[in-house]
Amino acid sequence: MGRYFGRKLAIYALTFVVAVTINWLIPRFMPGDPVRAMVARAGLQDPAGVAAMREYYTSLFGFDLPWWQQYLNFWGELLRGNFGVSLWAYPKSVGSIILAAVPYTLGLLLPAILLSWWAGNKFGAYAARKKVLDNAVLPIWYVLTATPYMWLAILLAWAFGKVAGLFPVGRSFSASLEPSFSWLFISDLISHWFLPFLSLFLVAFGGWAIGMRNLIIYELEADYAHYLGALGAPQRLVRRYAFRNAVLPQVTGLALQLGVIIGGAVVTEIVFDYRGLGYLVLEAIKTSDLFLLQGIFLFIVIGVLVANFIIDVVYVLVDPRTRVGMGSGS
Amino acid sequence: MTQPKPEPDVPVAAGAAEVATVPGVAVVHGGGVRREALHFAVRNRKLVGGFVVVLVFLLAALVGPLFASGDPNAYVGPAAAAPSGEYWFGTTTFGQDVFAQFLHGLRASFFVGVVAALIAGVLGMVIGFTSGYRGGLVDEVLNMITNIVLVLPVLAVLMIIAAYLEVRDVQVQAVIIGLFSWPWVARAVRSQTLTLRAREFVDLAKLSGMPVRRIIFREIAPNMASYLFMVFILLFGGSVLFAATLDFIGLGPTEGTSLGLMLNQAKQWSAMNLGLWWWFIPPGLGITTIVGALYLMNVGLDEVFNPKLRET
Amino acid sequence: MRNRLRLLAMLAAAGLFAAACTGVDGGDSGDAPGSYPRNQTLFTSGTQWGPPANWNPVMNWAYATGTVGYVYETLFLYDPLTDEFEPWLAEQGDWTSDTTYEVTLRDGLTWTDGKPITSDDVVFTIELGKMETVPYHSMYEFISSVEAVDKRTTRITFSEPRYQQWANWVYFNPIVPKHLWSNKSEEDVTSGANEQPVGSGPYLYETHDQDRMVWKKNDKWWGRDKLDLDVKPTYVVDIVNTSNEAALGQLLQGDIDLSNNFLPGIASLVKGGYQLQTYYQDAPYMLPANTTWMVPNSTKAPLNDAAFRRALANAVDTDKIVNSVYGQIVEKASPTGLLPIWDKYIDKAVVAEVGPAFDTSGAAEILSQAGYRDTNGDGLVENKDGSPIDLKLATPSGWTDWNEAARVIVDSAKAAGIKITSETPADTVVQDMRESGEFDLILDNQRQMDNTPFRYYEYVFGLPILESQTTVNYGRYENQQAWDLTQQLDKTKVDDLAGMQSVASQLQRIQLTEMPMIPLWYNGLWSQYSNSVWTNWPSAEGDGPRYLPTTWRGYMQRGAIKMLAELKPAPQDK
Repeated sequence: MGRYFGRKLAIYALTFVVAVTINWLIPRFMPGDPVRAMVARAGLQDPAGVAAMREYYTSLFGFDLPWWQQYLNFWGELLRGNFGVSLWAYPKSVGSIILAAVPYTLGLLLPAILLSWWAGNKFGAYAARKKVLDNAVLPIWYVLTATPYMWLAILLAWAFGKVAGLFPVGRSFSASLEPSFSWLFISDLISHWFLPFLSLFLVAFGGWAIGMRNLIIYELEADYAHYLGALGAPQRLVRRYAFRNAVLPQVTGLALQLGVIIGGAVVTEIVFDYRGLGYLVLEAIKTSDLFLLQGIFLFIVIGVLVANFIIDVVYVLVDPRTRVGMGSGS
Repeated sequence: MTQPKPEPDVPVAAGAAEVATVPGVAVVHGGGVRREALHFAVRNRKLVGGFVVVLVFLLAALVGPLFASGDPNAYVGPAAAAPSGEYWFGTTTFGQDVFAQFLHGLRASFFVGVVAALIAGVLGMVIGFTSGYRGGLVDEVLNMITNIVLVLPVLAVLMIIAAYLEVRDVQVQAVIIGLFSWPWVARAVRSQTLTLRAREFVDLAKLSGMPVRRIIFREIAPNMASYLFMVFILLFGGSVLFAATLDFIGLGPTEGTSLGLMLNQAKQWSAMNLGLWWWFIPPGLGITTIVGALYLMNVGLDEVFNPKLRET
Repeated sequence: MRNRLRLLAMLAAAGLFAAACTGVDGGDSGDAPGSYPRNQTLFTSGTQWGPPANWNPVMNWAYATGTVGYVYETLFLYDPLTDEFEPWLAEQGDWTSDTTYEVTLRDGLTWTDGKPITSDDVVFTIELGKMETVPYHSMYEFISSVEAVDKRTTRITFSEPRYQQWANWVYFNPIVPKHLWSNKSEEDVTSGANEQPVGSGPYLYETHDQDRMVWKKNDKWWGRDKLDLDVKPTYVVDIVNTSNEAALGQLLQGDIDLSNNFLPGIASLVKGGYQLQTYYQDAPYMLPANTTWMVPNSTKAPLNDAAFRRALANAVDTDKIVNSVYGQIVEKASPTGLLPIWDKYIDKAVVAEVGPAFDTSGAAEILSQAGYRDTNGDGLVENKDGSPIDLKLATPSGWTDWNEAARVIVDSAKAAGIKITSETPADTVVQDMRESGEFDLILDNQRQMDNTPFRYYEYVFGLPILESQTTVNYGRYENQQAWDLTQQLDKTKVDDLAGMQSVASQLQRIQLTEMPMIPLWYNGLWSQYSNSVWTNWPSAEGDGPRYLPTTWRGYMQRGAIKMLAELKPAPQDK
């Protein structure tokens, strides 16, 4: 078991190194000079002033060092939690900007992922046993899982926000409010949160439900299920076994879907003008703030790696075979 | 955005873990079932229905632009007109014909889907197969690479690459999507190869002194063909969604049009607030229909190749 | 099942709430009020495109919305609509001789920390120009000395009087408190965040967050006594923009009172009963704020040929851009590029004689007369040496209106026989191209409405050409005579209208025959307001207040601050 986790951690560490290297490498091969961008914004006319300012920003961004030193510094800064300075919100640090946005993204993502997974498994398993229901809901699930996140988001915003006027569209909470522990603020927060959450939830839900439904059908057709049935075991018991077995690939699936659903959150936030990481991505792209984009990228990678590791642990805890293996191994 | 999930990487060989999950990449059992498969294929409503839908859209993408010739972004009609007999899908706020854009956009989406799926499919197949067939150190290294790329959040990587590209076009988009979508294919192919390699007919071929290449092409590849076809379909759908997402956040092609770009434009020019629903409904609906039909085809194929799943 | 789902949703929301509380960034949350009273708060948007990150009035391209205007104030205001200067911090300012200017502050002004505002502060602010990285350093080069004559009076002696530029300086640049700024390093002055700004204006820093800036009324503002002006909103909340369409949604929901965003389609909404209003009731709806020019790179063939540039100027169908791309919320520019407020400087006779007008066949004729012919029969002209012409027009990606306009330019040039290809690289790349001169054609609109057309001519003809052109003459057009005339204009006294007109006329003749830059349309002073909470917005109709309805940087001192004193609470219907 220790070897298993060791291997996993090694892969995650390597992934991180690769991600950081990609991150460091790309700006140095691509056009667009952030120093020049900063200087241009200042609108200085005097050549001496331009030169002085260029020098200042060049050293601020560390572009005046040999490349290997830049790479090492990059790592050094990173390990100290320093993601650099944002051009978009100069002179704020990328780290502080991301940290302020992360709660909103997590607030959308965690409930959407966990609830859609939970509900998808329940409904999927349920549908697998009821032929009529299965035929009715399966097409809906397929439509949901094939829907681009941003399109569903636009449809919901349009139908419930614009046409029906049930929910506000835009921002994470009203601009007239200060965050406080009051019913006014909390209800405002929830009303802004609901539609983006719903659109993330629905698309993901479709996928999980189909997955569970298929897995349960496989399981019920498996030899052990028939064997149990032949032995006269009650259907409920068979189904419980089937569900337990089927849930395992769904746990692993969770890890693999993380990247995709984060992408979904990015576009959903853009549609709803929700002030999380997705909105930062858009701003970083629009203003060519590559430092911010890199920071978000690394942050997402770190988040995905951590989540993967948590899922690995959960998997080991859930899977009866590995539990046994652990017991006998130690 | 749903991406098929490969067999999970579990420390123990698990029966359940090898079964396909959403939207179902089936494990093909046994060989020599092609004629039987065809028999069930033409009778499978999901497969046929999905296929017809995809075909209709493909035809529209291929033929449509010939009729709606000229620049789809040209200002041809009145501004912001609702759908009518003349402009079936209405016009944009500049007076562009949404239907013409839709046809050209379909073409771009199909192109990205096919090219990216081919690249990812071939990469995944080669890496997965080599890994599974050769074993040993090669397997170790390739598997490590696969795992690394698998864990990287694809969209984030694509974003950072696309953001730096000075000129972005559909071709480049297809390539970068293809380059980062292969790992789950590699993994799935690897485990398939592992099981096939252990089969008797491969052993027989080895004993008879057949060269490796012939073993691969004569014995193993045909057995995996149906499987690879399904992988391709899923990659296709996934790539279309990836491309649409990139287009939507403003990292799409800088020239021409695509379904994702249409959504991006509709959003940038406030179609929702101005009530121009005909601007953002068709492109999204187009993507959903194509991808949904592809997934449906996949389920159909799954049922065809996997007798246990067939409707009785 | 559904009940359980609902329960879980509530739990998740509670978690989100806890997260949101930690998401607030900076600001004194110690006595944070629950909310800003809606009927005493003005919500604005359209200026701030990133989190408020600095309150440094010297960084005049990036300071938090309102830093200059609400907090830091200038000696004068300049109102482009009336072409008049209004004393603000200054009581008066005059040229006492050809080379000396004296400015006297009002009596009894104080900074908001209680210290008096004296001529020492004025001297200090002007002398900041000694620093090379301060934007007005180039102005300082014409100043030989600055001295405080007494507590209120400052005397500035010029080595070479630049009347026009100086008139620009006195209204544009805010005075900063010496006692708080004197120990700042040059880096702090030109790129420091200057948190907790202390100024003299009608608002005080209240708090800020990632997505907004909040100002609170300064009840002790000097203007209430001395100008009999009172800003009406108790709070001004400026919302950080994410996108124009998001701003439109919030404007329609009544969450924003004043939006200075570019909102395409606004024309249909203004008439649609949403209580929305713009400065003009009909097209063009917006005041013109600046000119969008197409800049040809005059170091490259065939753009180095004035005849070719003239043909290009005749080929562009600007009306189509105005109508189709902008839906008539902009106006076609004068061939001189001068804004309507400078109409008195336009020599109509010269324009009628040599000015270009949209004329596809005329453009083709100029081309053929100049020796550009279609030698390979593809309908497009070739260079004189027979090589094909393919000009690249670069507009920043994501600048959707410009991208669309570029498309129209490409089409109409093609009709005249000129091949142009539209490119949309990232805006930093376009900036790069612009400064280094590695482009064929770009669009640019940097110069705003101002007190003097000198600012435009400097932009068109500025010399010398440097390796990197950072603010003027991106097309690298070299014409010493034009530059001499431009400087002569600068040295013309502000009240010498005839003198200015005569120089401007000569410049226009050169400009229209040489076409170093091609004026296309006037970008609007994008501004749309909701009458649901505040009314009496600036308007050209009736006797509405005639002020610039904007919060854009650099516009408060152009009179926009007075808009806040004119606002009235909307009648509340219960």
